[in-house]
Amino acid sequence: MKKFVCCFALTLCQFLAPQLAAAEKVLHLFNWNDYIADDTVAGFEAACQCKLVQDYYSSTEEMMAKLLAGGGDYDVVIPTQNAVEALIKQGFLMPLDKSKLSNIGNMASGFLNKAYDPDNIYSLPYAFTTTLLGYNETKLNELGLKADDWALIFDPAVLSKIKGKVTVMDDSEELLAAAMLYLGYSINDTDEKHLKEAQQVIIKAKPYWAAFNSSSYIKELTVGNIWVAHGYSSDMFQARADAMDAGRAFSVNFALPKQGAVLALDNMVIPKKARNPELALQFINFMMEPKNAAELTNVIGTGNPNAAATEYILPEIKSISAIFPDAELQAKLDTLAARTAKQRRFQGRLWTEIKVR
Amino acid sequence: MKSEKSLILSKFSASRGNKGVIAAAVLVYLFLYLPLAVVVIFSFNDSRLNAEWVGFTLDWYHKLFNNRDMLQAAGNSVLIACISALMASVLGTLAGMAIHRFRQKWLSALVLGPVAMPDILIGVSLLLMFMLLNVTLGTVSIILAHVSFCIGFVALAVQARMAGMDDSLIEAARDLGASPWQSFRLITLPLLLPGIIAGGLMAFTLSIDDFVITFFTAGVGSSTLPLEIYSMVKIAVTPEVNAVSTLLMLLTLVLILAISRISPQALRN
Amino acid sequence: MSRALPKLSAKTLLSLPPAAYLFLLFALPSLMMLFASFRYPGEYGGLAPWYYLEEGSLSFDLTLENWLRLFESDIYLGLLIKSLFIALLTTAICALMAYPVALTIARARKGRRELLLLLVILPFWSNFLVRIYAWMIIFSPQGAMTIAINELRALFDLAPISLMFSNVAVITCLVYVHLPFMILPLYANLEKHDPRLLDAAQDLGASRSQRFWLITWPQALPGLFAGAVLVFIPSLGIFAIPDLLGGTDGIMIGNVIKQQFVESRDWPFGSVLSLVLTGFTLLLIGLAAHFGRARGSEGKA
Repeated sequence: MKKFVCCFALTLCQFLAPQLAAAEKVLHLFNWNDYIADDTVAGFEAACQCKLVQDYYSSTEEMMAKLLAGGGDYDVVIPTQNAVEALIKQGFLMPLDKSKLSNIGNMASGFLNKAYDPDNIYSLPYAFTTTLLGYNETKLNELGLKADDWALIFDPAVLSKIKGKVTVMDDSEELLAAAMLYLGYSINDTDEKHLKEAQQVIIKAKPYWAAFNSSSYIKELTVGNIWVAHGYSSDMFQARADAMDAGRAFSVNFALPKQGAVLALDNMVIPKKARNPELALQFINFMMEPKNAAELTNVIGTGNPNAAATEYILPEIKSISAIFPDAELQAKLDTLAARTAKQRRFQGRLWTEIKVR
Repeated sequence: MKSEKSLILSKFSASRGNKGVIAAAVLVYLFLYLPLAVVVIFSFNDSRLNAEWVGFTLDWYHKLFNNRDMLQAAGNSVLIACISALMASVLGTLAGMAIHRFRQKWLSALVLGPVAMPDILIGVSLLLMFMLLNVTLGTVSIILAHVSFCIGFVALAVQARMAGMDDSLIEAARDLGASPWQSFRLITLPLLLPGIIAGGLMAFTLSIDDFVITFFTAGVGSSTLPLEIYSMVKIAVTPEVNAVSTLLMLLTLVLILAISRISPQALRN
Repeated sequence: MSRALPKLSAKTLLSLPPAAYLFLLFALPSLMMLFASFRYPGEYGGLAPWYYLEEGSLSFDLTLENWLRLFESDIYLGLLIKSLFIALLTTAICALMAYPVALTIARARKGRRELLLLLVILPFWSNFLVRIYAWMIIFSPQGAMTIAINELRALFDLAPISLMFSNVAVITCLVYVHLPFMILPLYANLEKHDPRLLDAAQDLGASRSQRFWLITWPQALPGLFAGAVLVFIPSLGIFAIPDLLGGTDGIMIGNVIKQQFVESRDWPFGSVLSLVLTGFTLLLIGLAAHFGRARGSEGKA
């Protein structure tokens, strides 16, 4: 056994050797896995004569927890807008030196100067998704149901036709926001009475759902196990493409509910502890070049806040209104604001009650 | 003495047969390998999703071999797991012996504490601690963290091994003039070995698959396989993960078989 | 050298290294979290400062609120009991399944034992997520298993069921994930049993069940206990499996704890829940060990 362990350790050292050799300029990026196109990484490494090393997180909140506890000296992080707000208020971020960001003019004005970071002092948008409903088009047509309404996942009368074939996100903020929209309130309404109403809506609808699921609904939709899923637009885009590739007898589609939806805007920020802020600025500027900005959208179907990138985006993606909403739809999209400790506690409590009942 | 015992053992299993037990064991092995078969099969599946069979492809292996980050993370993971398992085996064996011999309840609680504590609390608290002590996060901090929750698994396995063990052998050795170290090395250690191996295997398994604690204690640029894989959930956990899992297991199996072929003694220690 | 001295140093020699290690890398950080459970959460996450220095006077900002919150509703207690039940069930099933495997390995030829052991643990060196995804494929409504079960149910005029997102799926995976942690310690214990004892008992005319209850069972008990601890504790606090495979009522106490640290960013309350869970688990195991030992010595006498 001991010999075996030694053998193994030796083989490993060979794996590790290249890591020790590199001592050049390095940009450390803290990001989701696969959330940047390979070509873009190669392009940046060539442009800056440096190495781009990524570390990954599996949820924004985990990333926040790690940064808040003082870990990780990353040069660039890609948090969602409410996390940006929290990080700004905690004093974790470095103001961006705009004189080094010549490509800033490419960004669509609708995604700049938002409430979470007025005048974009600390952050610039990277990509966005909306939270909407993905559905099995064939089944819903058979049943005569429409997907452009939150009633599809909240109204028991509608749900009774698709009982056990619905999943909703396992995310208190997203689900409560959806229920608030269904009730006609704003997603950032923090009135406890309204939130309790939303909780009741969820509890009444819960028996008709198959699961709270944030991780495998793409698969379930593609295979046909689930007919309606509450989730991110980029995921639904994947599900649709996968269902087509697999040559299913049904088609998957997705739609923005008419009451409005949550917009999640991921941003590039530089932490105060960054080791290489110059390189970080270079990276942010690089990502705002139209071609580079378009690449992510073309690969995984996220929305793109870069106006100049539009001409490089594949037409079949550009035409999907749930990814590139028109002005009327876009007016109904809203971003979640950062919640205070008291509000988070209250929501957390509501959520536990929802899960237990 | 030993060969006599194993002779009796083999005679025992042959004569009693106890086919029921063996049949049940085979069924449990099937249960353990059913999902594994799916993992391996889907590493050849021509679809990005781990969902249903579409067609045969070697693309994922091809992608994997071009994915230096993933391979390096895999190497990192195995290295961390080996060192953690080794350290945990040493400390866990000491703890297990101490608890058994001296009935130290406080030590028992200390050893089991990290097993009982939710991962996320261990992760966050260790991160706060490392920050306080100004420890640079990296491979070392990950190993330190892994050892702390693996000790309990080894200690318990060793304790289970020691329970009801005959202490007279050790006393006899002492009476014959063996030093405490000699009696430990020549008598206690060989007797404990199956417990230590069981504990070490558990520690290795826990370490190689840990995500939460690793996430919080990992430094910039010190990724492990689970960190690479869990962060794929936003987009899709591709069959590349099945491929790397398959290769890792294949490599282990081949190594083990090779070693046992070359020297049957090595496996038996 | 007197006999007492080496004995004393053996005690220190054995217990000091692990104790020192765990004190530094477990007890100390845990104490920090115990302290955190009396602090307020930071406005946007993390922890709020616990003291203020204003105009030369020091004021503290600590609270019992987090602990009192535990009692303002019965949902946390209810969840704890539910999780306890699921963990016990998992442990029992694991024990039943592990026993024949551990026994077979212990009785195997010497050179083959390590290989059989390795085969137990090998599947667990693949990644957790892909293993769970594999189970999702097995449980899929279009999967052979669900179809077979529903065909069978149809024979008895029972409504079709779905295994996906159900408690059956959760418990199957809990058992699957924890099985090696039962098999390995049990094997470590069974391996040293002397089969000649059983032979002798049979020669003396003991029946099969007598042989099991009088010889095998008391001997296997320490191994079983170790395995039970290693299965019970982790399955009590687990959150990933209910998250991935559970239905709308699949939540366990681990999920609530994770929620405090992750979504709610409420570390103080998360600490309270974690500490309660840990304390409760250790107490339970301490009690089990205590009574187990008392009964064990009774049996010997």
